[in-house]
Amino acid sequence: MKKLFLLVIVLGGAAALAGWFLSAPTRLDANTVANLGPGDPVNGELVFWASGCSSCHAAPEAKGDDKLKLGGGLRLETPFGVFVAPNVSQDPNDGIGNWSVADLANAMTHGTSPDGRNYYPAFPYASYARMDLADINDLFSFMKTLPAVGGDAGPNELAFPFNIRRGVGLWKRMFLDPAPVVAAPVGGEDVDPAIWERGRYLVEGPGHCGECHTPRDFAGGLILADWLGGAPAATGEGRVPNITPVAGAFGSWSASDIAYYLESGFTPDYDSVGGEMVPVQENMARLPGSDREAIGIYLRALPAVSRDAQ
Amino acid sequence: MRTISKCFSIFSIAIAISLGAAQADDDPIGDRQAIMSSVGAAAGLGGGWMKGDIAYSPAAGKAAIAAMRAASLTFGDYFPDGSNTGDTEAAPAIWDNRAGFDTEIAKFAAATGTAMEASGRAGPADLDAFKAAMGPVFGTCKSCHEGFRVKN
Repeated sequence: MKKLFLLVIVLGGAAALAGWFLSAPTRLDANTVANLGPGDPVNGELVFWASGCSSCHAAPEAKGDDKLKLGGGLRLETPFGVFVAPNVSQDPNDGIGNWSVADLANAMTHGTSPDGRNYYPAFPYASYARMDLADINDLFSFMKTLPAVGGDAGPNELAFPFNIRRGVGLWKRMFLDPAPVVAAPVGGEDVDPAIWERGRYLVEGPGHCGECHTPRDFAGGLILADWLGGAPAATGEGRVPNITPVAGAFGSWSASDIAYYLESGFTPDYDSVGGEMVPVQENMARLPGSDREAIGIYLRALPAVSRDAQ
Repeated sequence: MRTISKCFSIFSIAIAISLGAAQADDDPIGDRQAIMSSVGAAAGLGGGWMKGDIAYSPAAGKAAIAAMRAASLTFGDYFPDGSNTGDTEAAPAIWDNRAGFDTEIAKFAAATGTAMEASGRAGPADLDAFKAAMGPVFGTCKSCHEGFRVKN
């Protein structure tokens, strides 16, 4: 009995120790970032819109130039609790004005803060992990041109156990994978590989479309077998639609229908974009037309997810 | 005289109420969806012209704008209490934040009013004139759908 007790203690201690190491925040190799050189703010602005930064970090319902004031404050009310989007403006105290490009790259691709804490994956670094460092470097140089906004957006409001940041390290071990989700276009003999790859990069990486359009398991990880197959809305009412080429409403859209929707906000039936997709569409409308076409081509060549994912 | 005028005003209030009741009929969800489908059809014409799929004509341009105008003046009346459930994409926010919804409907009506004035008797002369008139109307679609429509 005493031995058993000891065994439980030892095993429990080992598990705790393993958990501690496994949950440690990870970082990029310092040399990789150091060799990036100066960024290009013109491309950085496109990366900014493609990544949808302002949809969470600008004031809710901000329009026009107010989308460049990144004081944070949007409240994402999810089953795990309320995530409050932080200030990522150039304010040195309340924002990220003191960050280096390495800090931004570690945050976006490893979910790790400059002081070595884990970010919650409400910040979609599981998608941003697929971004090119050159794009993040350009984004950094563009963000340097944006205004400082004072004011701390306030803390997250999360219940136990989700309020233990360290635990997010285990989540990252399970779900943070920079590999592409889709290996090749389905039925894509006619698809131009370069255009398809550009679409994949935009959708799976900066566009972080899967964060809302893919269902999650009990641990909040994306169910990749149902990639972009639609999901219950994490915040608020309704469902986020299935955008794979499956029979039904979205299945009849062509690649250029998708591109036109992202440009104009109108579906092929001339219904308009609505809900949380409105700021997304407005961001996508700022990209070159070739990028919207590439997104359409990638989405049309996805594996169809027919089952109505939970 | 006073009594008569009092009677008269009560009578007119009664008429107004019964008219209101007639308007808020058995199927407000079906009625508002029918109105919105005429909006979608008008937008579809506009989109077809802008994409170059169909040839523009001033009379058709005016018809599209007039359909929008009629819808903008009536659509907001078809959201009575109790019509928030059923086969509808109307967001709970319509009933929780009626003032906000009314503001969006007012924007829609203001935009169609301006578009009607601009289209004149014969309708917008060419596609550019149509775009200038209808563009602000299209902008109000997503402005309202952003907060007051839910996809299921």
